[in-house]
Amino acid sequence: MTASKTSPARTSEYTEDQPSFEEAFLKHWASIYRLLVRLVGDPAEAEDLALETFFRLYQRPPQMGDSLNLGGWLWRVATNLGLHSIRSDRRRGQYELSAGKDALDEAFNLRPDEIASAAEEKRLARRALAQMQDRPARLLILRYSGMAYKDIAAELGLSASSIGPLLLRAEREFERRYRILSGGNGE
Amino acid sequence: MNDHLKDGQLRAALDGEINPEEQGHIRGCKSCQTRLEAIRAQADRSSRKLAFLSAESEQPVPNAAQALARFQKEKTTQKEYPMFQRLFSHRVMRFGTAAVAILVLVLAVPATRAMAAQLLGLFRVQQVTVIPVDFSGMQTLAGDNTLGKQIGQMLSSAVTVTRKASPPETVADAAQASSQAAFNVRLPQNLTPSQIVVDQGLAFSFKVDRARAQALIDEAGRKDLVLPDSIDGAEVSVNVPAGVSASYGTCPALTNAESSASIGMNGSTGRRYPDCVIMAEIPSPTVTAPVGVDVSQLAQIGLEFTGMSADQAAAFAKTVNWTSSLVIPIPRNAATYENVPVDGVTGTLIQRPVDDAPQYALIWVKNGIIYAIAGLGSDSQKALNMAASLP
Repeated sequence: MTASKTSPARTSEYTEDQPSFEEAFLKHWASIYRLLVRLVGDPAEAEDLALETFFRLYQRPPQMGDSLNLGGWLWRVATNLGLHSIRSDRRRGQYELSAGKDALDEAFNLRPDEIASAAEEKRLARRALAQMQDRPARLLILRYSGMAYKDIAAELGLSASSIGPLLLRAEREFERRYRILSGGNGE
Repeated sequence: MNDHLKDGQLRAALDGEINPEEQGHIRGCKSCQTRLEAIRAQADRSSRKLAFLSAESEQPVPNAAQALARFQKEKTTQKEYPMFQRLFSHRVMRFGTAAVAILVLVLAVPATRAMAAQLLGLFRVQQVTVIPVDFSGMQTLAGDNTLGKQIGQMLSSAVTVTRKASPPETVADAAQASSQAAFNVRLPQNLTPSQIVVDQGLAFSFKVDRARAQALIDEAGRKDLVLPDSIDGAEVSVNVPAGVSASYGTCPALTNAESSASIGMNGSTGRRYPDCVIMAEIPSPTVTAPVGVDVSQLAQIGLEFTGMSADQAAAFAKTVNWTSSLVIPIPRNAATYENVPVDGVTGTLIQRPVDDAPQYALIWVKNGIIYAIAGLGSDSQKALNMAASLP
């Protein structure tokens, strides 16, 4: 009989010279959480989505090669999850109502109309993103979250030289949808 | 460069993502500079609206170590639920399919696991053995649809059905069930069942294809586990006799396969039938195969596949009589089990305290009949009381 001498707990791509899952979790947790809380706005939802992001890593780790950017991979997964989340409005609406109220209560140095305006802008921006096709929406999220062109290209499977033109198109689309959502008042 | 830059290149220029030659062109080209400013104005508008994507959040980041601890806890229940679901809902406790339930309890877990050993030699259930399993390494087998479909063909490309399964039939009482199922059916006294059905079972045979079974193990990521050549070509016959299911309380129809698939296994559906209890009983299925195959060897491979170390698997394999034990894998950290006295023998009570749909199952074997009582909720005493009232 041929049987294994050691029995790994799971079928993992991780090897001794790669970070363990736990190491990867601790290293990337904060940046993934921040990305998601900015994207979805709700801290509790962001935490759930961040955990789901790492669950995807745990469940089906990407092929660990020299070219793998684990952080970029996690960002891509988190962006997809966040985008999917902002497309479902129900929970969002409740959160944004209470967040708007909290903002009014707490921001003493801003005029109420400025506070309401800022919250409304975020709401409209999220809705505009939610209405866009996946790739341009992801492109905007990754770029405006601070990811460099070459990393965006790697994560989206594009050439770096195509990012500029695609970003321009995505911004135009975003502005168009924002204008419609704001009744033509948002510029 | 004499050609003007395209709009996309100008957009990249705003982010510093162009080469020196292109930068030089912009510096010397009024037309490109004018277009650049228009593109900049648009980019600035978008940047203001999307600034929240890079703004410092006022919310503190949850502690990473605490988040990891929460992850470790939640992944166990999340990942193992589908497997447990299969065990308790798809086959074992599925309404109206008691015979198939027991069959798949034996065979649904791939041959690469502990159950495989039971296919070899003459198998007839005399006791129940529970194995806590770490399903975390077997997600592909639990959740991968492609692989799941292959499980039905895991052992052979040619299965000969010698007795076809027929639709379950509703009967009036235990006496009629006994007559149709050809064994003495025992149901709790002083309880009126909502429905009683008889499933006539089935029989089939097949020839083991070792390469096919090995491919399944390999696909699940355990190429280190090698099935012995001796199982290749082994002729296996399986006979699942008629079985009986009885429902108590408010339950979906036992003969409705679709509704039964969801009972208890979805939180909201489970809450629709909170008092539903199912009792199933079936004479032991029999499995025959050529002698000469090392059953314990295959069982050890199966146990290693579930996550045990080689030493643990070897030690455990020795403690089980693989030709007479009905082995039930349960998720290691999501279910508990204990031996309990029931019906004059020792049975096993399995409980899964899932928040939205806790479940329990009481399983025992007496005089060659496998009995199971399963229900939703935490009140497993109900099952023990029912068993105690059997004639």
